[in-house]
Amino acid sequence: MLRLLTTVSWRHVKRHRLRTALTFFGIALGVAVIVAIAAVNRSLTTSFQSTIDQIAGKAVLQVANGESGIAESLFPLIRDTAGVRDVSAAVEGFSPVAGVPGERLYVYGVDLLTDFAIRDHQFADAQFGFDQALDFIAQPDSIALTESFSRRLKLPVGAKVTLLTSQGKREFTVRALLKEQGTAKVFGGSFALMDLPVAQKAFGKVGKLDVVDLTIEDGQKIEAVQQRLRERLKGAADVERPRKRGEQIELLLTSFRVGLFFVSLIALFVGFFLIYNTVSVSVIQRKKEIGVLRCLGMKRSELLRLILTEALFLALAGSFAGAVLGWLLSRAALVAVGETVGNLFSLIDLVAGNFTLRELALALGSGVVVALLAALQPAWEAMRVSPLENARQAAWRPVGRQPTSWANRLGLCCMTVSPMLLAIAPSVDGSVQRFSVGVIGMLIFLLGLAAFCPAIISFVVGWFWRSKARVPGFDGIEARLASDSLRRNPFRSGITIATMVISLAAIFTIAAFVNSVRGSLLAWVDQMVTADLIVSSGARTAGPRNVPLREDLLPEFGKIPGIKIIDLYRLIRSSYQGKPILIESFSARDSARVRNLPMVTGDSAEALREMGEGKGVIISESFHSKFGKGANDTVELITPSGLIAFKVIGVYIDYSSDSGSVLLDRALYKKYWREDLLDAFDLWLEPGADQQVIIQTIKERYGEPYQLFISTHRELKESVVRIMEQSFVVNYAVEIVAIVVAIFSVINTLLASVLDRTREIGVLRAIGATQAQVQRMVVMEAGWMGLIGGLLGLFAGSVMAYHHVVYNTKELTGWTFQFYYPYGVAIFSVLAAVILCLFAGYGPAKQAASTPIVTAIGYE
Amino acid sequence: MANGSTALIHLDGVTKVFVTDEVETHALAGIHMEVKKGEYVSISGPSGCGKSTLLSILGLLDSPSGGSYQLNGRPVGELKPWERARVRNREIGFIFQSFNLIGDLSVFENVELPLTYRGMRPAERRQRVADALERVGMGHRAKHLPSQLSGGQQQRVAVARAVAGEPVILLADEPTGNLDSKNGEAILALLKRINQEDGCTVVMVTHSQEAARYGDRTIFLRDGRVETADS
Repeated sequence: MLRLLTTVSWRHVKRHRLRTALTFFGIALGVAVIVAIAAVNRSLTTSFQSTIDQIAGKAVLQVANGESGIAESLFPLIRDTAGVRDVSAAVEGFSPVAGVPGERLYVYGVDLLTDFAIRDHQFADAQFGFDQALDFIAQPDSIALTESFSRRLKLPVGAKVTLLTSQGKREFTVRALLKEQGTAKVFGGSFALMDLPVAQKAFGKVGKLDVVDLTIEDGQKIEAVQQRLRERLKGAADVERPRKRGEQIELLLTSFRVGLFFVSLIALFVGFFLIYNTVSVSVIQRKKEIGVLRCLGMKRSELLRLILTEALFLALAGSFAGAVLGWLLSRAALVAVGETVGNLFSLIDLVAGNFTLRELALALGSGVVVALLAALQPAWEAMRVSPLENARQAAWRPVGRQPTSWANRLGLCCMTVSPMLLAIAPSVDGSVQRFSVGVIGMLIFLLGLAAFCPAIISFVVGWFWRSKARVPGFDGIEARLASDSLRRNPFRSGITIATMVISLAAIFTIAAFVNSVRGSLLAWVDQMVTADLIVSSGARTAGPRNVPLREDLLPEFGKIPGIKIIDLYRLIRSSYQGKPILIESFSARDSARVRNLPMVTGDSAEALREMGEGKGVIISESFHSKFGKGANDTVELITPSGLIAFKVIGVYIDYSSDSGSVLLDRALYKKYWREDLLDAFDLWLEPGADQQVIIQTIKERYGEPYQLFISTHRELKESVVRIMEQSFVVNYAVEIVAIVVAIFSVINTLLASVLDRTREIGVLRAIGATQAQVQRMVVMEAGWMGLIGGLLGLFAGSVMAYHHVVYNTKELTGWTFQFYYPYGVAIFSVLAAVILCLFAGYGPAKQAASTPIVTAIGYE
Repeated sequence: MANGSTALIHLDGVTKVFVTDEVETHALAGIHMEVKKGEYVSISGPSGCGKSTLLSILGLLDSPSGGSYQLNGRPVGELKPWERARVRNREIGFIFQSFNLIGDLSVFENVELPLTYRGMRPAERRQRVADALERVGMGHRAKHLPSQLSGGQQQRVAVARAVAGEPVILLADEPTGNLDSKNGEAILALLKRINQEDGCTVVMVTHSQEAARYGDRTIFLRDGRVETADS
């Protein structure tokens, strides 16, 4: 076998270097995408967990309630629970550094005297002991920074640093430096320690704690202590292991990560067809060689092994390269993904891990499995070749038509299975599982369409020429020969066109999805956000990046002429039945007459009125989908005041988060959550008021001290769209990979087609065709592929996009999007397919035209 | 029959050298020959003597390494590639040993092929194709594919393709090489008739003495040179 590989196989590879290189790079790109996205998903998972673990220190249990916080009065109850040994309370949050764009500090406020039992803070000054800690605590503006942060921003001990807090900009004094170890390592050293009361004041959480970490006494079981705490707290907070908290946060990213994973499969799908194409062409071209080997005694099974081994070697080489490339790509992807996660879900210390054996195994596994599967059918065909027929020195015959019946049977099978899967998808248990079944159903539909490509080619080309026969003056011989070439090899052409179909379908599905999300989101923002101006601190939109403010500015804004209504919007992360949700609030009493909620069930005005009267809450569509609650049901929420039951007034559309949200009136929120923080001021202006004057007034008076962002309705919409577009960056990158691999496939096929028709091309030139005419013929063949592939891809993409937007996304996220068909993208994608294929055909066309006639005809 | 003194083909010291892996093969080593209009010339010689190489140069399928070649009074060496293609299309008809028909085109379409490259009107093309097929006795098989024809029939179609454009010169490379004797004779007779009836100059490469006798004269090649030229 080795001898055959080094002679027969290697010689063939050397003779067709360009095609081998194209296939190699196609495999490498496909595998690179898989590895990059797997690495990104792994980083997302481990980064959260790693951050949580580092911050948790020695704590085995944590008492917390998301951003709702827990009442400080519960601390003694927690501390005095049987089995609890050491306890430390903390308040945490991100504070932008004023005057340094992009810099944020993760501030951890603890009781330094008791926190050492849970966390090991290593101060740079070896002398930092009890006395120094007391000094630190005694000053109400003390802050400790890490050495690296101090160096980077030139803030030595004694320097002042201004942070953005709930009361605007506040100055702190650096009184100690931390070594970057343990907890201080998080967020790349952008970590700071404060005394607990100072942090509570800075974050507007006086009387509340974000988390209480605890260790247990020797001999105690964690589960027993956990149960005891839950009973004593009576639902006022969650009690979980640190790891579990990390898992809850990871749940926020489920749909994002699942989406990335399925997008990565596209590249592999396209790569499959590229390899199939290459191996098929290689087998066809070596039929005589294979016939000779069989005449010399090679068994069918040995031949099968030879071809599969060739594919295996190529796959291994491509997979190794893909693994390396994927690891490099993941670095870039992490930056984009980190930005998205930070905008939408939570600020994260996203660390690119080392390349793991798991990723290498994934690379090799996916590349090898796909290559072997792709090579199986052509290898099988090669095995069935009659040795004598193909070893003969045959008079020139064109490559015969290949049987397409099995492809049609496969297509029929797929088109039968696909709708069945789509029909059963809604009944599968679990949102991720339902989504997965839906995606697989669509991929099988795509595979079925791909299998029908040979038959479609024959039909389309035949129909075209029957139609053109009726068109006077249409006489293009090059076009005729180009299309005949497709029809002569429907299988080879079909595989290439199938690759284009899949790439284009994937691109179009993503484009239509993005277009639908954009359209739905903009329509939703128009409905939900009716305020003329939205004022926030630290970021333009409420989420992980903005700084919550206190109500200090409310009376100030009330004094500005031209402002008619002021409402206060708050958004926090919480949990329900162990899963993350959002709690949103505004004062329906004040703003009901100028608001309009996009309701799924119930009347907006009625719901807002009842909400303003404190009669209940309005849940989002995602919440309804995930937890099965509807109008008139009851939801029990964990609040700092304990477990409180709320009646559900109605269900509304909310795209803030796919994990589900609960909307309630601000008065209720303040009562049970015991805080008056807000994330944005919504301002409605008097008719005729000068918006720019009001913006200027707010900026001049409060812009600097509070680092305010003042957005008009239009600016907010633009910001929302920008964040949304950012989240699709990785998808766009995968689309590019898919189209590049498809183009490789087109070039591969054309090169093979040109080679197969060397003699024919020689004859054409011998009877008077010019080089330009021959080139046009080959380029037209590419153009035909682009046109058929483009139109089929558009059709497949339209079907898939509709299903994905209207049905599948709802299964995963609970969101209902309106389907906005991207007509511009549709036209562009078909045109682009044709143009790209024409370009792809240029190289093979030049090769075809430049072969000497005598050589081509095979003269002696 | 030859037309007086007009030389259609004039070769002066034509050489052809093939270089492969630093080995030089002198396929033609200084050919001097003339073919007059209307002549039927056979080129014969043992295997490897350079006859097919000579024919490919005559048919502008290849270029000489040295010497000069004039076709119809025009030096061929000065022609641009598109001009060479034009000459191949309009002035030369080529008949190959292995027919070289395009397998997925019908008989009619194969014969029509060179005419479409001329930009001829469809009606005129159709007439010429029909006439050519009738001439070679294949009019009743116009819609068949080459794979449905015997070797002799395929070669007739190849001849029809070559003459449909009314070329000045017909070049045939071992036209009977893949045929049995009966079909071979039929093809040779056809070529003779075309030469006599149309005055079309024919240059035929053959290794068969019997086939060579169909020509008005035979040029014998050996080792890339003209050995003898009998009339």
